[in-house]
Amino acid sequence: MQPEPAVPIDPRRILAMGGGGFTMPEEDRSEALDRFVLELTATAVPRICFLPTASGDPREQVTRFYERFGDWPCEPSTLSLFHLGRDRIDPVAHILAQDALYVGGGSMRNMLAIWREHGIDEAMRTAWHRGVVLAGLSAGAMCWFEGGVSMSGGRPEVVRGIGLLPGSLSVHLDGEPERLQLYEETVGSGELASGLAADDCAAAVYRGTELAECVVSRAGARVVTVAPDGCGGAVRRALPVRVLPGAAAPGGDALTASHGVSELRALRAGRQRWE
Amino acid sequence: MEHRPLEHRPRQIVAFGGGGFSMEWGNTLLDDFVLGLTGVVRPRVCFLPTASGDADHYVVRYYRAFSAERCEPSHISLFRRETGVGDPRAHLLSQDLIYVGGGSLVSLLGTWRAHGLDAILREAWEAGVVLCGGSAGALCWFEHALSGFHEGPTRVIEAMGMLPWSCAVHFHEEHGRRESYLEAVTAGMPAGFGAGDSAALHFVGTELAEVVSSRPQAGAVFVSRGADGSLSERDLPVRYLGESALNELQDAALAA
Repeated sequence: MQPEPAVPIDPRRILAMGGGGFTMPEEDRSEALDRFVLELTATAVPRICFLPTASGDPREQVTRFYERFGDWPCEPSTLSLFHLGRDRIDPVAHILAQDALYVGGGSMRNMLAIWREHGIDEAMRTAWHRGVVLAGLSAGAMCWFEGGVSMSGGRPEVVRGIGLLPGSLSVHLDGEPERLQLYEETVGSGELASGLAADDCAAAVYRGTELAECVVSRAGARVVTVAPDGCGGAVRRALPVRVLPGAAAPGGDALTASHGVSELRALRAGRQRWE
Repeated sequence: MEHRPLEHRPRQIVAFGGGGFSMEWGNTLLDDFVLGLTGVVRPRVCFLPTASGDADHYVVRYYRAFSAERCEPSHISLFRRETGVGDPRAHLLSQDLIYVGGGSLVSLLGTWRAHGLDAILREAWEAGVVLCGGSAGALCWFEHALSGFHEGPTRVIEAMGMLPWSCAVHFHEEHGRRESYLEAVTAGMPAGFGAGDSAALHFVGTELAEVVSSRPQAGAVFVSRGADGSLSERDLPVRYLGESALNELQDAALAA
């Protein structure tokens, strides 16, 4: 007989990606992190809903989402807050009916403002407590924390998040020195709480409000902690990472056959690269 | 000594029940009308596509409709960082016409409030910049708006409130829109306007100056509640903007 656990298991899960997954430019578009989102649900055929709010619900991201998740064992759907009439979805009910929510990148300020108007921020909190996996990249990762550094206004600026997770997050660590600089300055000055900075293809996994592990879809991708150094500056410390199955080689791109096919399809469809 | 501004421009808003370049491609009557209201030969026009999530195709169509031959076109994207103007306030206040695209009113209001655009647009209005738009781009100027197609189930939304009225768009064309609006006014929503597709409400200050249209059969109504609670729905006179053009064509045909 199995003994009952003394403490109920905390169902809350968040996957915060510095970048990566299906919405990224091709060199960072490995499948490993997207597969990992489904794995975190611990459900055979999870219901997963994509929210492209931060980019203004562009059709292209929706197409790419179905290209990636359409053939996998899951029930994919998308929620566009700009087209509720067309899609005939009750946004809050739909969110609460999922096993995973996948939030795209873009403008964190716009996304949170729109979410507030539609009551999505509260729905996200409820979903999290019920064990719906919250996943996202860039703006869709920083939003779960107390705050982050957004570049969507052109210049880097501090933007407050929903605050499900304590601390702060900065993203695209490897590609955007301006963002990292403001992040370190604001953590150093105390404007932002200590937190993490993550490369493209690197993600932090939270169980409850605790960091459980860091995973990467490209060998060499990093997650670092950023904390005040006591002299007004900040100190960085690298965290151990687990390389996910199917990850790309360092700096390179492990194109699989299916990846190549979807690229070809994208080219044929004449779609532009997403910024 | 009395100080008078060099130029006093009235506050003007034109709310399309539907129409303009995004809905009536090839029929430029409403867009010509708002350009004409600026009183400037080559007006500066800024497009705000926020309600569509700054959809690329919408921005492209805007630049085709508002070509550099007839105006100085620009747009402000609040989602695409690479296309930003440096200072949105300075840019908007320097325009002759601000044209707001359709889409989701709720998402538009949320995004504008996050960027302080609601206050900037009020300032522009008071400075005499002509404000216009269709669908969500029409509803946003009113105190209360009956939500359109993009919001899902119909509801009343508090918008920016420059115009102390309520409003509904696509009034005769969208199924159930008129009935929902009459119900909402009966239930206590302030009096206001139902504008059909191709009909545009032209406000000077906060009062309706006239209704113009880009199709002869377009219509608009004023809906209010009497002291006894009874509902009144009054058809408004509509001036078809194409009449003179139509007559010219006919004259030319007769002369030929």
